[in-house]
Amino acid sequence: MRHIFKTTALTGLLACAAVSAQAATTVEFWHSFKGASGEVLDGIIAEFEAANPGIDIEASYIGNYNDIVAKLQAAIPARRAPDAVILEVTRYGLFADRGVLAELDGYLEADPLRDDLFGFAREVGVYQGKTWIVPFNSSTPVLYVNKAVFAEAGMEEIPDLGDFDAILAAAQTVQQSLGDDGISGIAAPGQFARWGLIMANDSDLIDSVSGDILIDAPETVEAYEWMASLVSGHGVASVDGVTEEDNGRDAFLAGKVGMMMNSTGNFRSAKTALGEDLAVLPMPCNRACSVPIGGAGIGILSSAEAEVQQAAWRFISYAAGAESNAKWFAGTGYMPINRNTAAQPVAAAALEQEPGITVAIGQLDVARGRPRPPVVTWMRASEYDVWQAMALGQREVAPALEDFAARTRAEAARTN
Amino acid sequence: MHSRATPYLLVAPLILFVGVFTYVPILTSLDLSFREWDFLSPDRPWVGLENYRLVMSSQEFWNSVRVTALFAAISVPLRLCLALGIASYLVREALPQRLLRGALFLPSVTSTVAIAVVFSWLFATDYGMINAALAALGLPRLHWLQDPGLALWVIIIVNTWKQLGYDIVIYIAGLQAIPQDLYDAAAVDGGRRGHVFRRVTVPLVMPTTYFLLMISVIEAFQVFTVVDVMTRGGPAGATDMLVNLLYRVGFTLFDIGTGSAIAVLLFVLLTALALIKSRVLGRRVHYEA
Repeated sequence: MRHIFKTTALTGLLACAAVSAQAATTVEFWHSFKGASGEVLDGIIAEFEAANPGIDIEASYIGNYNDIVAKLQAAIPARRAPDAVILEVTRYGLFADRGVLAELDGYLEADPLRDDLFGFAREVGVYQGKTWIVPFNSSTPVLYVNKAVFAEAGMEEIPDLGDFDAILAAAQTVQQSLGDDGISGIAAPGQFARWGLIMANDSDLIDSVSGDILIDAPETVEAYEWMASLVSGHGVASVDGVTEEDNGRDAFLAGKVGMMMNSTGNFRSAKTALGEDLAVLPMPCNRACSVPIGGAGIGILSSAEAEVQQAAWRFISYAAGAESNAKWFAGTGYMPINRNTAAQPVAAAALEQEPGITVAIGQLDVARGRPRPPVVTWMRASEYDVWQAMALGQREVAPALEDFAARTRAEAARTN
Repeated sequence: MHSRATPYLLVAPLILFVGVFTYVPILTSLDLSFREWDFLSPDRPWVGLENYRLVMSSQEFWNSVRVTALFAAISVPLRLCLALGIASYLVREALPQRLLRGALFLPSVTSTVAIAVVFSWLFATDYGMINAALAALGLPRLHWLQDPGLALWVIIIVNTWKQLGYDIVIYIAGLQAIPQDLYDAAAVDGGRRGHVFRRVTVPLVMPTTYFLLMISVIEAFQVFTVVDVMTRGGPAGATDMLVNLLYRVGFTLFDIGTGSAIAVLLFVLLTALALIKSRVLGRRVHYEA
């Protein structure tokens, strides 16, 4: 009897141990992708889970990058933070600085992925000499043109759009010809495009190396004056796109705008909306040829347990791998981050059939990472109001930027 | 069978709920208003009154106080006058009135975000239906959400449309409580409709007006969603209400100490307003006909 009891107990214990060994490690993952991008991401997650039966990725769409930052703020003190999260490439520095993110160098050093990543993809995740995120969706701004609108305005061939004057001239042509039909020349630039246009004028908002605030530098002021003039001076961009940035993009997708400057991540939706009427061109080189690298990467929260961090890294490594990255690139238009992506059949097909998708890759020679100290999060959140006031003609550009620069310097002194 | 502890046990769940979800956050907010914190750092150093000094010396705060006060000064009387006028018509128990009551109450139970998004489309400058209608009449398009002189009016219109149904329902209840005898007596005395409304209806519905005034002033000082979706406080701060400023400072600019200081000041302001109203108007409210 005693023997039977012992055997039963031992069998029970072994069964429990086996179940526990097979129990999936759950990685709670917050991201910012919905619609077509969300579907591609879901596919990558499903394939990862199939290849890694012991890991369950519990993915949640949280909102845009700003929403993720806001919700992380609430979740961290409440100890409800996820295990892995998508963070925009200029805003993770704050979280790294405050010890919220886990350092990834140890994982990266031991992973073949390290050598497969493009240089830019390794660099954008580094803050103060350490790696905190691995890029997932990398982008640069590009210039989207609606060829049908241009043709209707008398521009059968797309003219050279290589500098600010050329873009303004084309926008004016569209506006003069089709403005009465409710078609605007150009969409008011969103914040990512504004940053790109400042870099195209040989300046920056914050120097990515020295950290100097360049908001009131003459070239920055000049770039903002040109951007604001599109709306309030020349009237070639709708004011609707100033108060709500997505309005400009939506109007372009609806065929109501001649041009827009926006992330290459919009390629798929623009292609779907405009089909063969879509042309994708590089950003202008006004005083310089330079574009910002945007997008986001995946970071691991330091609050996650070691086992969960390991599982999260395996997912990051898989998502940045050539096969997943090829699907992501072909399905969304975001740039490849892996040197082997282009060799994947799905990526090769996209490169061959959709020439517009390569424009962002072509800009990589002049692309650079942006600053990412804690003050950038504050600066980006505050810039919207300043831009709005300038673009709507409510404040002169130079004094508005001087004031904004002074406030940013004070904030940098407080938070960096 | 009933012990002396029974009543306390019965109310304990509610007290616990209110304590945890109302008073603890208020006290935490008060504590945070004396500290510097960004939600992420483990330390929350004590900074005394520094956050309050920052708020009181900030142009943005005083702009928000001005905008919120202006919003309340226009929207509260507008809501109450419209609601009383419409309720006086809808108080009758006929089918059209019943249908209209339902239709007018609908916005009150509709998602504020959905309402704000739809009105954003309606008021869009280049693609909005309202400007399309103006253009069809040969009138110029207006920059509803971009002109600082117009944006606050748009917020007032949307907020009034959203809240009006609730005010009407409360007023209808108040009007139905007025004894019919008084109207009959006024009719016998030859009172005209306007005169009866001014001398009978308005004084007797005063408790309802007083209640709605209290509620709508508090709501006006707490308006957030419509502004956040439609203008985010812009253009140029023209619709930057106190709660929007509080949210922006606390949750967008990562300065929870200063955000909490604004919340505490808002609390003090609302308490002061409630006291003033009860002193000034409370005496004029009669609860019996």
